[in-house]
Amino acid sequence: MSARTVRIAHLYPELLNLYGDGGNILVLKSRLAWRGLGCEVHEVAIDDTPSFTDVDLVFIGGGSDREQRIVCEHLLRQRSELAAFVEDGGVLAAVCGGYQLLGESYLMGDEKIAGLGLVDLYTDRGDPRLIGNVCVESRISPQPIVGFENHGGRTHLGPGVEPLGRVLSGFGNDGVSGEEGCLYKNVVGTYVHGPLLPKNPGVADYLLSHALERRYGTGSLEPLDDAAELAANDYMRERLLGPRA
Amino acid sequence: MGLRTQLATGSGRLVRWGLRSVAHRAGSQLPGRLAVSLDPHVIGELSSGILQGSVVVCGTNGKTTTNNVLAAAMEASGRSVACNRDGANMVPGVAGALLDGAVDMAAIEADELSTIHILPELKPRYLVLLNLFRDQLDRAGEIDHVQDTIVAALAASPQTVLVTCGDDPLCMGVAYRAAEAGTKVIAFGIAEDLHLPADRVPEARFCQRCGAELTYEYRQYAQLGAFSCPACDFARPRLDYAATEVTVGREGVAFDVSGPGLPAPLRVTADFGGVYMVYNLLAALVAAHLMGVAPDAFQRALDGYHPANGRLQRFRVDGREVVLNLAKNPTGFNQNISLLLADDRPKAAFFVVNDHDNDGNDISWIWDVDFERFAAEPDLMVIAGGIRANDVQVRMKYAGITAPLAGSVADALAMVADLPRDRPLYVLTNYSALWSAKAELERMGERL
Repeated sequence: MSARTVRIAHLYPELLNLYGDGGNILVLKSRLAWRGLGCEVHEVAIDDTPSFTDVDLVFIGGGSDREQRIVCEHLLRQRSELAAFVEDGGVLAAVCGGYQLLGESYLMGDEKIAGLGLVDLYTDRGDPRLIGNVCVESRISPQPIVGFENHGGRTHLGPGVEPLGRVLSGFGNDGVSGEEGCLYKNVVGTYVHGPLLPKNPGVADYLLSHALERRYGTGSLEPLDDAAELAANDYMRERLLGPRA
Repeated sequence: MGLRTQLATGSGRLVRWGLRSVAHRAGSQLPGRLAVSLDPHVIGELSSGILQGSVVVCGTNGKTTTNNVLAAAMEASGRSVACNRDGANMVPGVAGALLDGAVDMAAIEADELSTIHILPELKPRYLVLLNLFRDQLDRAGEIDHVQDTIVAALAASPQTVLVTCGDDPLCMGVAYRAAEAGTKVIAFGIAEDLHLPADRVPEARFCQRCGAELTYEYRQYAQLGAFSCPACDFARPRLDYAATEVTVGREGVAFDVSGPGLPAPLRVTADFGGVYMVYNLLAALVAAHLMGVAPDAFQRALDGYHPANGRLQRFRVDGREVVLNLAKNPTGFNQNISLLLADDRPKAAFFVVNDHDNDGNDISWIWDVDFERFAAEPDLMVIAGGIRANDVQVRMKYAGITAPLAGSVADALAMVADLPRDRPLYVLTNYSALWSAKAELERMGERL
């Protein structure tokens, strides 16, 4: 094997694809291909029993309440394997509903559902839904993370869990703490839903380099021409925050 | 009519007169909004002036075209018709369409979530539910919520008959629940495999009743087709009105329709294309037929129907054909891509995406569109536009297409000026961008 290859498990794309989540996989794949690196994407279907021993990067998207619940029931059976993957430094990105699944529990209506318990966080609900464009300053990305959030859940981080970043515009985890998302080992969770990675190439490369680092001991990545991505990021950042000082 | 309603309708009419005569505006929202604010039940009061009853048309894609064709067919049969032609499809727009007073029939387009307010007041004879797709999640919420709302609207108008697409599992999910609550259901669909190139199934892969994965004998597009559940009895129903002998092309559609009370074979032809248009026209024909419009009046109306609202309109600008169409959600866009690929000429395309409130502020859906299908189209030139042109450009980049940015249709036309004149430009826009694109094209060129 010459080229380094990243093995991606995309969990339940048939169910967890509420907001164009497939775009994230497309971005990871393309950014590897443009660098001459390999990529294998395994789409995990609901009847599969996924194994995480040969996986470098796990992606969990967002779904409607009903779909999220089906997924959670299935994934709970794999909980210990997933937890071992996370504790071993496996890279996991979860957005929107997938982010809520990472925690101890979340609320569906008034019913408390057990989550995967991979990260010390939990989600309750509040009114109103938190909907709109969002901009987040994060140490994992040279540019602020921009995107869209739409969630009734309010996520609360445990004491040992670092937020993904600080909300510059929008609501974030709970609309009051000014914190957005979570970072735990190589897990990135965020309410920035659906196509998180296209306009945030820094986040995409963070995930890829950590996945490569874990498998090959070197996570270095060639720079790419990200002019279009950064222009889209800049446009939204400026719209939300005003022109750069 | 009570004093309150008289005041409401009188004020609404006066404002509309003012808007049209003095301000020279169409005034599709304000008069109705005023009337509703003065009398919240104005739609119910005015509905008594619709002598032969009304039809409400809803569904994610195709409402405006279907409803306008239906209204034209009613008119071709000699009836006077109230209709919200310009697509103002929430409560004020519907009230505004009814302000003129007594008519024979009404053809009313309704936003899916507004059916809960419109149906209990209007009590239409028929609710046509065309299809359900993912659209504006930030405003409409999940599809489950849209389904719940339509079921509740039907429950609040028990005499209304649901006329819906039997090929759409999501429509049938509504139909099963409505039927259990006592609603009469009439199903239409396409009863043959059209062998169209496969596109993706964005939703409803799973049974609406038991959650098992649906299987298909064949699929027309998106989730529409001859579906059945391997685990329970959820399936495409026996079609009351079925299209067969279907031909679909860029230049138009034609199909036979069979069903109770229709002469056989009844051929319907139209000079605008797309498989979705077969479903729209089939729905319009069934609704017209149920309202007593003769098939020849329907075809006559169709022959004289020229979309004027930016849907599939064709223009010529400096000798180049420009095709304008609405593309506001993944399935609508995927259908447009099918239309574009069915045109075997080399061509250019201008994709315009805005994010105003009436478009939906969230444009994540562009990542659900199968732009990768353009890989089969090596000569295609794509230009990105709209408020979110940068996002369109990034989407294109990851589909393998370098798309420059243009600020207007005129800019896009200037960019393709060097291409041979026989290459058409497809302008596909989402909702709010449609009107400015149409105005530009009307100013620069001629209608075809």
